[in-house]
Amino acid sequence: MTFLKKYLAWGAGALALLIALVVALPGGKARGFDVNGFGSLPILEGGRVKPLDSVARNSLLVIHSRQGFRHEGRMVGPDEWMLDVVFRPQVADQQPIFVIDDLDVLGLIGAKQTKSRNYFSFADLSTHLEEIQKQATTAQPIAPQKRTRFQSAIVNLFDRVYLYYKLRNTLQLAGSPGIGWEIQSLGTADATLRHQDLTQLAHFRILPPPAGAGPDAWQSVGQALSAANAGGGLHPGLVPLAKLNAAYVANDPTTFNQALTEMKGVVATLKPGALGHASNEIAFNRAQPFFVGLSIYFVAFLVLCVSWIWKPELLRPTAYSLLAAGAIVHTLGLAARIILQGRPPVTNLYSSAVFVGWGAVILGLIVERMYRKGFGTAVAAAAGFASLIVAQNLGTEGDTMEMMRAVLDSNFWLATHVVTITIGYSGTFLAGSIAIAYALRKHLVTKVDVETDKVLVDMAYGIICFALFFSFVGTVLGGIWADQSWGRFWGWDPKENGALLIVLWNAIILHARMAGYVRDRGTMVMAIFGNVITALSWFGVNMLGVGLHSYGFMDQAFWALTGFCVSQLILMLICYAPPRFWANNPHSKA
Amino acid sequence: MIKTIASRIWAFFKSFQLTIVLLALLMCLVVLCTLAQVEMGTAGAVNAYMRSFFVWRHVAALPFPLPIFPGGALVGLLLTINLIAKTLDIKLIWPRAGMWLIHAGLVILFAGEFVAGMMQVDTNMSIEVGQTVNYVQSYKDMELAVIDVTDPAWDEVYSVPDTLLAKGGSIAIPGTPITLNVKRYFPNAELATLIPGSAPSLATAGVGVNASVVEIPVVSADNEMNQTSAFVEPVAGGRSYGVWLTSVALGAPQSFTHEGRTYALSMRLRRQYLPYAFTLKQFRHDVYPGTDIPKNFSSLVQVVNPSQKESREVLIYMNQPLRYEGKTFYQASFGKNDTLSILSVVENPGWLLPYVSCVLVSLGLLVHFAIVLRRSLKRRQDQKES
Repeated sequence: MTFLKKYLAWGAGALALLIALVVALPGGKARGFDVNGFGSLPILEGGRVKPLDSVARNSLLVIHSRQGFRHEGRMVGPDEWMLDVVFRPQVADQQPIFVIDDLDVLGLIGAKQTKSRNYFSFADLSTHLEEIQKQATTAQPIAPQKRTRFQSAIVNLFDRVYLYYKLRNTLQLAGSPGIGWEIQSLGTADATLRHQDLTQLAHFRILPPPAGAGPDAWQSVGQALSAANAGGGLHPGLVPLAKLNAAYVANDPTTFNQALTEMKGVVATLKPGALGHASNEIAFNRAQPFFVGLSIYFVAFLVLCVSWIWKPELLRPTAYSLLAAGAIVHTLGLAARIILQGRPPVTNLYSSAVFVGWGAVILGLIVERMYRKGFGTAVAAAAGFASLIVAQNLGTEGDTMEMMRAVLDSNFWLATHVVTITIGYSGTFLAGSIAIAYALRKHLVTKVDVETDKVLVDMAYGIICFALFFSFVGTVLGGIWADQSWGRFWGWDPKENGALLIVLWNAIILHARMAGYVRDRGTMVMAIFGNVITALSWFGVNMLGVGLHSYGFMDQAFWALTGFCVSQLILMLICYAPPRFWANNPHSKA
Repeated sequence: MIKTIASRIWAFFKSFQLTIVLLALLMCLVVLCTLAQVEMGTAGAVNAYMRSFFVWRHVAALPFPLPIFPGGALVGLLLTINLIAKTLDIKLIWPRAGMWLIHAGLVILFAGEFVAGMMQVDTNMSIEVGQTVNYVQSYKDMELAVIDVTDPAWDEVYSVPDTLLAKGGSIAIPGTPITLNVKRYFPNAELATLIPGSAPSLATAGVGVNASVVEIPVVSADNEMNQTSAFVEPVAGGRSYGVWLTSVALGAPQSFTHEGRTYALSMRLRRQYLPYAFTLKQFRHDVYPGTDIPKNFSSLVQVVNPSQKESREVLIYMNQPLRYEGKTFYQASFGKNDTLSILSVVENPGWLLPYVSCVLVSLGLLVHFAIVLRRSLKRRQDQKES
């Protein structure tokens, strides 16, 4: 029986991994067109070479807040959407992809708030473009943190519309007969002007560096046409691109797929390796390991909650194996990012959230192995889920593998300082989560169980020590990085101060406990406050907009952060409130 | 009696209460200092909250400021005493080795910040491609330079710091026959062309005759600069050369001639001349392909130091500063269409202390947690056996 249970438990984990694998498999052809193949074409955008699929996903995420949408009764994926935008703008313009929630902006474009979310197509917006641009131009010079809600919303809408506008004019000028016609009309009267427009509006560069040019000299269609116009010869990629264009417009999948093979051949000759790199990244994009991971964590958490009231001996190991499966997917995703980017795991706010979650999960797995009470699993699953949710929300601003600004361009320090300090965040959050579990348990579970309480306190205490170590070392390493690159060890920069606060707070907890000023409950209350401090120093300082570190500014997260802090303060009260009500309750004997 | 008082003081300084209260105060200060940076700029907030013994606040009813909160220096000092007391108090036994290392390391870290607070000098060097510069200049502090420009090959510079100008009165310029009478000093001012009919300017010579000067509040934010201005009257050999307006806002220096020597007056950022010079040979500003995202900034500099008979090229780039003669030069900014490079210059004699501290504390934490882990594993083992 126990043997069977063990297999059932591990079977659940294996099943989760299998589902993750299925998600990663490429989808079928859309209307016979090899859209996946089109998405795997490498392009240059944002300073790095990536598959067109990444641009499609990130653009759709920015414009639509999701990576796909339903239109005319079927799902349109990012690659198919991109094909429509670049080759059939007249079709893409009708797809309602722009989300507008702000009432004032809705009023501006003369629409009413409806019950469902408000989706508009580019065609819907096209009559209001001038007004949107006018309003956005007045709002843009104002510093982001000083804009009103309307100003932020209108700038945001303008940026999204402009992104879309650039995309639809990247490969051909929208409304023109296409790339083939451009090649034929080289040297005609208006050609130069059109080439300039194409060059200026191009959002990405699709043509690999021609033979003899520098390794970064990718060209947009406009640049290649200009070069050809000036007598520099036709870029070998232009002809297959024109064929792709014509075939897609003519709804001819066979010719399209042939032209795609031809295009890939050109890329392979001009830029060997780019196709391989792009297809690795596209696999990563498809697998969405962090989304899959957070789903598995969620299920693991649910299973564990159920295990407290039903079949614990089966469900607790099941939850653990699910957590392990989630951790594997999470780890693979993290490893894939490191390999694709060629950077240590934490390079921006998004990846710090992914890494904090990973650290908490791994710590939780270890703690669960040591104590086997189910709390490690519960807390790790919850922390992993929560931090990946945060990461998903942070990742809606575009490419999460953006290039590092010059001052941060140091793999050594990113690998040491940033990773250590992020592990410190993980530890503080995990200790806080355990304290929350302790608080809730104290009030929800009627049975007095001194031993379990003790274990929870021990876990939290141990993790606080761990967090103090990493946050201190991380902070000091940060100081040394600052000394190495800016000539001063400590500049009281907001981010540095935030890190210092975490160190100080963990030190206070340890000293207060050591001196006997607080006991178990007090330690736990303080550990929950650690969550507030960590959240503030992690995200809060980015909202101040001062200092050398303020590279990750966010404007919408303010209320989320406030809500989180308030919730933690309430949990501290709950933790501090004695469970006397329950102790006197007759049920407590049960 | 004395012994009991002494032992009570000792007990107070080594108590955990004091540690916790001080750490909590420090946390409050850090939060306040961070929030204040939005308005006051980093340097202003750090000086007000961290590098002072008290945080002062002006109350409208009182003419003098009140100390409203202990400042970083006081908290730091008490914390250091507390730390030292505690370090001395920790018994020198092996199970306490980690603790001892940690607290000794922290004492050094605090000492490092004290040294930085007291002795660190932040300046910068703006240098254009092809230009040779032999001085660093302050970010905020001003000076009034009296420059003997008679010899076209050699400038003799005498300078009066803004703190001295603020005191007013007569200032004799050593090495010259000139005495400056400070008529009026403005820490920050707005200059405009004098509207006909309004009160005449204090100045009787130079461009200041046609200027109106209005005093405005001093700014301290990082990206703002005070337009320090003053009306001064150079007197030499019993003769006045008129009242001149000098201001940072004025571009070209103004000059007068006394006994065949020409002196220029120039209000400018305070300079410190160096016994060596830097020539900027090349400045690079690389971006990632197809974007404006900066990839690298670097300055190729020729360092010429006659006293050391040294002349060599150095490449200063991001994360790779030049440490030279006690100063650290690092790439900070750029301008003028990538032909101007701005190097930040920091001089901190205690720069090594944090490194020592870091090693000690990390080692101490490792040792301590290893000891604790071993103890708890042993306890678990004992529990299992019993």
